[in-house]
Amino acid sequence: MKTYDKAKHAIRFYLLRRLPTCQQTVEKISQSMERPLTLRERISLKLHLWICSWCQWYMEHLQLIRDAARARADKAPDLLTGATLSDEARERIRHKLSNQS
Amino acid sequence: MSEAQAKALHQSPDPGRWLDDHGDYLFKYAVFRLRDDTAAEDAVQETFLAALKAYEKFEGRGSERTWLVGILKHKIIDHFRRTQREAPIGEEFEEGPEHADFFARVDEWKGHWTNEHAPTEWHATPAELVERSDFWKVFGDCLSPLPQRTASAFTLREVDGLKSEEICEILSISVSNLWVMLHRARLHLRNCLELNWFKRED
Repeated sequence: MKTYDKAKHAIRFYLLRRLPTCQQTVEKISQSMERPLTLRERISLKLHLWICSWCQWYMEHLQLIRDAARARADKAPDLLTGATLSDEARERIRHKLSNQS
Repeated sequence: MSEAQAKALHQSPDPGRWLDDHGDYLFKYAVFRLRDDTAAEDAVQETFLAALKAYEKFEGRGSERTWLVGILKHKIIDHFRRTQREAPIGEEFEEGPEHADFFARVDEWKGHWTNEHAPTEWHATPAELVERSDFWKVFGDCLSPLPQRTASAFTLREVDGLKSEEICEILSISVSNLWVMLHRARLHLRNCLELNWFKRED
């Protein structure tokens, strides 16, 4: 087990030195949500994520934000409490509409 | 009631009742996207006015609310288009904070996450977050400091799920501009949510 950990550590170190940095990787992660990545990009992203839990979490978080925002957008009107048309706005609109009809 | 009366009743629009039945619903729909009460009120008003003009085309087909939301969607996009025109893209195009400091390590790992900004584990699901109004308050506050155009691009993409080409057309920007803006918005928002929501929960 100890040899395995040592080997893993060595591989991690080796890869981190040669792969794109986290700063370059997060930009790729964002682009992966907009366009299909090339094979080369996919491989270096996969390898980076394999050894970097920070970027792994980063990618999960972006997906979570997207999923939650879209779910909220679908449900928002029924769920939101407090935010309703103010009485002033309601009267203003009512007045405007009665002038038009 | 005779058939003719029923038909007449059906065909004359009743904007006062629309306002009572759908006003709040449409307002909530708009305010989540526009994050501005006045702009959302205007969008609702424009929706009803447009609905009044286009009533003949509706003819009671389908749900009234779905029809109104369909009009509102266009009004919201018009709003984004208008704010874009008021602040046309300049020489010094502001795409939002670059947050290079997130990766400004001073050791040999320059370009990797600094300890202060490295992501942590979140333990949350979309289903839980959808219900939390206080989370969406933080979400809105986190989007506010971004340049208007960047926040609009983010909303159109991540909330409404529009395609890149549609967003570029609405905001008059190139695809590469859009990608840079989305990347910076995500980097900023994720960090802001972590600081102001997920860390607080621990």
